[in-house]
Amino acid sequence: MAKAPTNKMRLRMLVLLLLFTIGVGGILVFRLFQLQLTEEGKENQRRAVDQQMSAITIPASRGQIMDTNGKTLAVSATVWNVIVDPSNVRDGEAEIISEGLSQILGVDKETIRKKCLKENSQHEFIKKRIEKPVYDQIINFITQYNINAIHMKEDTKRYYPYGSLASTVIGFVNSENIGGTGIESQYNKVLSGTPGMVVSAKTALNTDMPFRYQQMYEAQNGNSLVLTIDETIQHFLEKHLETAVMEHNIKNRAVGIVMDVNTGAILAMSTKPDFDPNNYLEITDPAAVERLNEVAIRTGGTDNDEYLEAKSNEQNLQWRNKAISDPYEPGSVFKIVTASAALDHGDVGLENYFDCYGSFEVAGEKIGCWKTAGHGNQSFGEAIKHSCNPAFIQIGQRLGGDAFFDYFEAFGLTEGTDIDLPGEAGNKGLYYEKDMLVGHPVELASCSFGQSNKVTPIQMITAVCAAVNGGNLVTPYVVKQVVDDSGSVVESHEPQVRRQVISQETSETMCELLEHVVSDSDGSGRNCYIAGYRIAGKTGTSQKLDQKPTEDGQVAQEEHILSFVGIAPADDPQIAVLVILDTPEISNVLGSTIAAPVVKYIMEDTLPYLGIEPKYTAEELENLDVTAPNIMGKSVEDAKALAAEKELTIKFVGSGDKVLKQVPTPSTPIPRDATIIAYTDNEVKPEMVEVPDVFGLGTSLVNQAITNAGLNLRLTGGKGYASVASRQSPAAGTQVEVGTVVTVELTATDVE
Amino acid sequence: MKKAKNKVKIKTGRIDVVFLVLVLSLLTVGLVMLFSASYAYAYYYYKDSFYFISKQLVFAVVGVTAMFVLAFFDYHHFQKLALPIMGVTVFLLVLVRILPTRVGDFHRWIRIGSFSVQPSEIAKFAVVVLFAQILSKNYSKIKTFKYGILPFVIILGLLSFLMLLQPHVSGVILIMLIGAVVMLVGGVDVKWFVFAGVGALILIGGALLIPGAFDYARSRLEFWFDPWSDPQGAGFQTIQSLYAIGSGGLLGVGIGNSRQKYLYLPEVQNDFVFAIVGEELGFIGATLIIVMFALLIWRGFVIAARAKDRFGMLLAVGLTAQVGIQAFLNIAVVTNTIPNTGISLPFFSYGGTSLMMLLGQMGIVLSVSRQSTLLKE
Repeated sequence: MAKAPTNKMRLRMLVLLLLFTIGVGGILVFRLFQLQLTEEGKENQRRAVDQQMSAITIPASRGQIMDTNGKTLAVSATVWNVIVDPSNVRDGEAEIISEGLSQILGVDKETIRKKCLKENSQHEFIKKRIEKPVYDQIINFITQYNINAIHMKEDTKRYYPYGSLASTVIGFVNSENIGGTGIESQYNKVLSGTPGMVVSAKTALNTDMPFRYQQMYEAQNGNSLVLTIDETIQHFLEKHLETAVMEHNIKNRAVGIVMDVNTGAILAMSTKPDFDPNNYLEITDPAAVERLNEVAIRTGGTDNDEYLEAKSNEQNLQWRNKAISDPYEPGSVFKIVTASAALDHGDVGLENYFDCYGSFEVAGEKIGCWKTAGHGNQSFGEAIKHSCNPAFIQIGQRLGGDAFFDYFEAFGLTEGTDIDLPGEAGNKGLYYEKDMLVGHPVELASCSFGQSNKVTPIQMITAVCAAVNGGNLVTPYVVKQVVDDSGSVVESHEPQVRRQVISQETSETMCELLEHVVSDSDGSGRNCYIAGYRIAGKTGTSQKLDQKPTEDGQVAQEEHILSFVGIAPADDPQIAVLVILDTPEISNVLGSTIAAPVVKYIMEDTLPYLGIEPKYTAEELENLDVTAPNIMGKSVEDAKALAAEKELTIKFVGSGDKVLKQVPTPSTPIPRDATIIAYTDNEVKPEMVEVPDVFGLGTSLVNQAITNAGLNLRLTGGKGYASVASRQSPAAGTQVEVGTVVTVELTATDVE
Repeated sequence: MKKAKNKVKIKTGRIDVVFLVLVLSLLTVGLVMLFSASYAYAYYYYKDSFYFISKQLVFAVVGVTAMFVLAFFDYHHFQKLALPIMGVTVFLLVLVRILPTRVGDFHRWIRIGSFSVQPSEIAKFAVVVLFAQILSKNYSKIKTFKYGILPFVIILGLLSFLMLLQPHVSGVILIMLIGAVVMLVGGVDVKWFVFAGVGALILIGGALLIPGAFDYARSRLEFWFDPWSDPQGAGFQTIQSLYAIGSGGLLGVGIGNSRQKYLYLPEVQNDFVFAIVGEELGFIGATLIIVMFALLIWRGFVIAARAKDRFGMLLAVGLTAQVGIQAFLNIAVVTNTIPNTGISLPFFSYGGTSLMMLLGQMGIVLSVSRQSTLLKE
């Protein structure tokens, strides 16, 4: 009979039991606790979710940029990237794919074929950003040949329908769909929105799990922006600025700003030359292209560091919004600030007179006036009208360095304007602080007439607006509204007045005084005169004081910045236009008078567009052009009567009794003293003459040259003393019929 | 006649219901969890979600039948069968090495028709039965070297040698541990265990100190300490297992809702089924299963303690301990408590031989329970 278990055996068994259950079992439960209920477990869970979840991003579409009237300035559209997955290319399919894609996309066939045959790859870019028609072609191709290896990945592309219009303001979007400069950069967040996501559970083979786990985060499309910029005004500004850049061979780009004086809304802003944001990497300025070519020739290619750096510099230059980024010496335009300050502070009045003998001595230093003969004894208003430096030195002295700086600061000239554009430079360290003016009469003197201190164009025009709008320093802005996807307004920009700088009364006086600058026949700004409009304005010329001598030690040719600010209408200021021409060629007879006409052209286009009607004075009405009457087919008698009605001279050529042809043609604007040539038969052909070159000639010589040629002369522009012809149309040398109207523009040259 | 009369006189009672309930509960939970864990794998690789569970159900039915048959089969018959079983085992272990059938680089299975038999599984049973037989017969001479240690060393040595040829290291570890439990309870002097333990430590330590040798074992240890040093390679399975367990948290993601079983965790139907238990049933569910295994050990040991004789006792201890050791080693691997070795989880892991053997052995434990010492009173 087998023996029963002993107690020793039972004891050993009990020890084992405890070891198993309490010991090992306990350890395992503790491990489970560690792995499931502590941070370690949560971390593992997160990692597990990471590998199980696959997220697909849904791109958010970028908002539009519109001008103030809703015209689209920038819009995004869907484009596609064409990708070949070599791992999915079937045997012999590489040939079909490369042939087909090469035909559709214009990409080299051999390149595509190589990509198709690449090993260990699933992702080969063939072409980026193709548009809808090409996309459709590829879809057809894929369907026709039942190809699995071609994928098209959605992407977006930014389009700028108006090309380079306002490009330095709007900026561009880079290849990563991020705003690079301008509004695109400043408002990148608002415009780009938030991309959405679809998260779904996947097996390790990346197939969907049988149970549904899907979470969708909707894409939040970007908001659109409505600008204060008016496409039409912007177009006017750019057209005239571009012409000026070409005519005067401007070396350092030209700036133009059109601003609502009361709200600070920027109606137009441009720097020329600029760029095409559709093609923002391409250098558009021919001079810059020339400079780059030189570098390429010198360095023997276009892929060396020096060339690439030069190209990058040129790109940055053409993207740069000079209107807000480049401080300059404003010259006499700044006298508006000095004058307003002195008037507002009560140091001078309209009754005060100032002497000018061509120069003025300050602390033993002789400072000259631009008119070396001197302006003689002149009232405060005349001093402004003459833009007389000695007078302004005296005005500055009366104001004193202390108050001068206080006003300088109050006009916002020591800080950025806070415009909603990136890259506003401000002018830190570029102006004289109070302690550098008080007790320093020479510095105060040069500051008083706009030399020495540097400001940015946007600071200058904002200060001018404050001087004429009743004294309010406003914050300039370019974005009027933020509009969401559905078109409703999310955010509206309210005009902001930072502070009242001068009194309403001072401001009104300034408007009057500045109007005389333009309207008076001896006004320094009369080149901006437009019949029917009351324009206030101020010229500015500054010599670049920080000019460096050239390498061979000689002082370079004097470089100037010419500028003009115009305000209209002078009796109820609405808009201000500032034009700055940095480093033009002024060696010809026109000298430094070229900025005012540019402002005039802009105003001539803009004021009627804004619905501001011309109001002519009696004198203006008398000199107003008339239109040529329609005498075609009329009898000689009737034609005479029609001409007489407009007090025009008429000359008949031929022997017929009916007018068969007339020069100038009906409705052409013609001066009141014009002669109409009427042809009454077909026997006599109109006589052709060559338009003479009148550039730089005085008024009487112009008159003589044109009239002698048998042509009608129509004069425009700054009439008055010392005016010369600055532009003519048709151009010199053109063959025209006798009697054709030649329009000649006069520019006054006896001004600063 | 006398013999027959004696046999009739043997008092037999009812089988231990607690143990039976525990076995059937673990089997049920195990089958459910195997199905849950394996159906994605089965679907993706065999196009049949029921590929594993349908086979396992057949094994379970055969196994449960075997369990009841053996429960009513007098376990004393194994006293005579002990040596023949060991003989068959050794034969099969030699055969498996000779036969060309291999899975990977391993010669572990013998194919018979559509089923395969794993001789290592039989070896574990053979060790328990033979050791129980030797120890109960030689209990009085247990202090001697000849009877107290030599036979066991020879048997374990031979089996280990044959199994290392397959190679099957985890199988060797298991028969060593199971053998040791039976020997310990059977009265073998504790000093031998101390010698063996110290000897093993010195051997392992020394082996690891030899530069260049046993690189495979050393790298296993490295990935045990830091599975993230090779997340896509050697550490992959462990990391995926920890992800699954971590995803479970306190209450689990719910039965059937595991995500890690979607082909992330390799061997999900075999050695790593417990990771899915952790994910789906959470800390509470996984702990409950550990507790169920602990209860099974406790009840098996209770049966052993009440066994009519030493052979029955050692048989019950060995067979119960086998389940406990395997279960706890498996869970230890899945929770990265010990380095990764291929040990399946009893009642849970897929495998025909092992499930049927397991249930048969549980039948033998029940058989021991029927002849309890308590019946004397």
